Amino acid sequence: MINGTVVDLSRVQFAATALYHFLFVPLTLGLAFLLAAMETVYVTTGKPIYKQMAQFWGKLFMINFALGVATGLTMEFQFGTNWSFYSGFIGDIFGAPLAIEGLMAFFMESTFVGLMVFGWERLSKGQHLAVTWLVAFAANLSALWILVANSFMQDPAGATFDPFTMRMQLTSFRKLIFSPDAQSKFVHTSIAGYVTAAVFVTGVSAFYLLRKRHIPLAKRSLRMAVLFGVLATIGVITLGDALGFVAGRVQPTKLAAMEGLWKSESAPMPFNLIAFPSQREQKDYDAVQVPDLLSLLVTHSLGGTVLGVDALERRAQRRIEQGIPAVQALHVLARDPTNAAALAQFDAHRRDLGYGFLLQRYAPNLSQATAAQVRAAARDTIPFVAAVFWSFRVMVGLGLLMLAFFVLAALYSLRDVVQNKRWFLRAAVWMIPVPFLANECGWLVAELGRQPWTVFDVLPTWMSASTHSVAYMVFSLIGFLGLYSIFIVIELYLLVRAIRHGPAEPGGSGAPQGGHAPLAGGAVPAAAYGNKAEG
Amino acid sequence: MRTFLYFLLFMFLAVAVTILAAILGYEGAWYFAWLIGTAMLVLISAAGGALLDAQEASAAEAGREQS
Amino acid sequence: MGLYATLQVIWWLLLGVLLMCLAVMVGMDMGVGAILRYVGRTDLERRVALNIIGPHWEGNQVWFVLGGGAIFAAFPLLYATAFSGFYVVMLLLLWTMIMRPLGFEYRSQIERPAWRNAWDWVLFVSGAVPMLIFGAAFGNLFRGVPFHFQWDLTSFYTGSFLGLLNPFALLAGVLALSLAAMMGALMVMNGAEGALLQRARGVVQAAAGVAIVLFAAGGLWVHAMPGYRLIGSPGPGLPQTPLEQSVVTVPGAWLTNFGAYPLLWLVPLAGFAGMVGAWLAARAGRSHLGWWLGALAWIGVIGTAGAALFPFMLPSSTDPSMSLTLWNASSSKDTLLWMAGFAAVFVPLIMWYTSWAFWVMRGKVSAEKITRGDEHAY
Repeated sequence: MINGTVVDLSRVQFAATALYHFLFVPLTLGLAFLLAAMETVYVTTGKPIYKQMAQFWGKLFMINFALGVATGLTMEFQFGTNWSFYSGFIGDIFGAPLAIEGLMAFFMESTFVGLMVFGWERLSKGQHLAVTWLVAFAANLSALWILVANSFMQDPAGATFDPFTMRMQLTSFRKLIFSPDAQSKFVHTSIAGYVTAAVFVTGVSAFYLLRKRHIPLAKRSLRMAVLFGVLATIGVITLGDALGFVAGRVQPTKLAAMEGLWKSESAPMPFNLIAFPSQREQKDYDAVQVPDLLSLLVTHSLGGTVLGVDALERRAQRRIEQGIPAVQALHVLARDPTNAAALAQFDAHRRDLGYGFLLQRYAPNLSQATAAQVRAAARDTIPFVAAVFWSFRVMVGLGLLMLAFFVLAALYSLRDVVQNKRWFLRAAVWMIPVPFLANECGWLVAELGRQPWTVFDVLPTWMSASTHSVAYMVFSLIGFLGLYSIFIVIELYLLVRAIRHGPAEPGGSGAPQGGHAPLAGGAVPAAAYGNKAEG
Repeated sequence: MRTFLYFLLFMFLAVAVTILAAILGYEGAWYFAWLIGTAMLVLISAAGGALLDAQEASAAEAGREQS
Repeated sequence: MGLYATLQVIWWLLLGVLLMCLAVMVGMDMGVGAILRYVGRTDLERRVALNIIGPHWEGNQVWFVLGGGAIFAAFPLLYATAFSGFYVVMLLLLWTMIMRPLGFEYRSQIERPAWRNAWDWVLFVSGAVPMLIFGAAFGNLFRGVPFHFQWDLTSFYTGSFLGLLNPFALLAGVLALSLAAMMGALMVMNGAEGALLQRARGVVQAAAGVAIVLFAAGGLWVHAMPGYRLIGSPGPGLPQTPLEQSVVTVPGAWLTNFGAYPLLWLVPLAGFAGMVGAWLAARAGRSHLGWWLGALAWIGVIGTAGAALFPFMLPSSTDPSMSLTLWNASSSKDTLLWMAGFAAVFVPLIMWYTSWAFWVMRGKVSAEKITRGDEHAY
């Protein structure tokens, strides 16, 4: 029988390894295009400083890329190792985008990344530029296919359950890749990567400007990153809005959790700016509300409404009752595939099969399910509201913060005064962790909000895991935590070291420029070089 | 003749891209927006760098004229 | 044969091709890691060896990712059952494999000998262990794996971790490792000069010798081993689950296919020819020729395993009738068709640009360039 502890540990392991992987991926997605932008300027203007920029940021790119690839290997195999039933159940659809990702994107990215690093002397300028663009394009194409797969878990479009092979089967490839969730999620995530890279490059450049090192390189990098970042942040917020709109339609429970919406209300609905949701009492404490805003945000009209938890639970209860005959018919069909009555019963209730599965957790024998068990299962369809609610608010808050940051940065940079604004440069260094935190929160909103399903409305999480022992799970979890902790320490050490060392200068590598610059590591107090403008 | 052949090749590519873009724009408008948007982001960012070069050059020139 | 059955066979063959590419390309990189500490006596020699595969290992590694993805897409039940069944082994494989990118990228970032020495050990472990595991996994297919299904196809694995390390599996593991070491050494020969080249030549000959002996021993062993025979099933090209067939075990049954189609004996023969040829080519100093012959050896070895196992993909020792075959583990017709379309376009494209990348980076790796501090050399 299925062991709840094993499922929970499998979830912890998946979340930990996915969140960890997702620390490195967004930077790759965005930095690759920034490298392409820098090299484009180099090739068109022929100014060597842009080559130096592309090479320096390329080095940081590679340190980050190594861990992204390494931790991605785990993700590719973890579906099979830890989510065995899930993999068999939807592999017919879910496996395809993963395989295409390898065929179409990851192969191109990895082959050309080798040439990007090693090929500076072997390729012509134009060839190398093309290689860099291909790396950037392929990295994002990779993300596209992964997110198409992920979107299938959120909005299982283009597939149907086959009672004879006991699994979901593909019915429309077109619906799979063009589902609204896939589209908006890909664009949102990819551009979030652009923002991440823009903040990273801005922050590191600000560090050099503060230290008065590598000033021409830092000013140019900052200018390019800031323009990239301000537009990308606008895009990320726009797509976030689109994604919320889609969620309202296909995943109302996620939306209700994001907004802490326990009771369905009439339009126009108020927006909870701050609140402390209690899952047990199904209410929000200390809510600070903005009138009318929720209707406007999620339905794009003042007259629109969305369902609250109360209505969603009632709806789930009906679907659970409808799901019971579907599971019962499936049992019969498994023994006797020719039973026409069972097939008819299954077809009549197939839409609610997932809800029948969900009930099995509370009532292993469905024919004796009690009303209390059905209510418990219906309650289970609501995700952990407080976690989704706050992850969402932190993400949005940080997004708005980054927008403000980039608007100001663009103003300063375009006027060419950013190097004088020391407070701003210090703030820019402190901004570096912000997009990473926002990305992780975004993952949490999307995936915690999907619970209790692995495939929304189709396959409950509690059935999806492999049938391992608790000991195996503890072993693997400790192994991953140990290895990954060592990795992050090494990676951060190397990144900080490479940043402190700085780009290779034409006359002697990495040495601070000019007589007045301090040694790397800040041997001279910041006040010693004052607030003067440069040159 | 050579130019004409190149013209034909690029004309063919342009038509193919137009058709593909029309399909993509219909089936997946966000994907289409991503393609255009990303290209725009990269080019604006690149232009920003080149603009800084111009700004610095003209500032240096202004500095020389004053002194 | 209908369209669905044809697609199933095509994907079985394609999976074979992917596994062969994986073995040749990733095996080569892992071989370099495994022999690095032996062939490279000085730090500079080791850096030369690493930089020979430096521009390519990243792309090569995708064969591994693609192998996983293709099994998931084309044979989901195999992906689900095998990877969860082999849990501890898969973890060892993953953990050692995720250390490898870091070994390449981070090793030469810092000059301290202790740092580099530690990463050299990482590269050794992450080269040798995965190849042993790949081979051992294949070996276990011949022995059968202790798993069974519940009515809804939830799979249960009832064996232990040590059960997967039985003598035959270990033989297959060492065979894989020796072929990988041979290919790695041939690649080092391609790009190296001097003492490094001479030591690599020695490795090729030793590894080829070991591989010849083990491949022959494995063949004799399989001859006497109980094999699986499908005696009743819904048949190829029909949607089915592994709960609808009957399978028996018969001593020597793994050679049935060779008996029915004697031409198949050419496949193991090609394996032997490749190994002997690589040995001779290394002796003659023709390492590029040797590399291609080494690839032929891999094709022969994996092809032999595939020909023997067909149509089985994951035989069950708990209940042979629940064994996975390509008929009951494959995806639906639509998925196989779509995937075949993608593979038809992209696999040739991949081979084309991979060859281009090798062509761009052709020639010997210059030790002088590495010491001059070319920033991006490993």
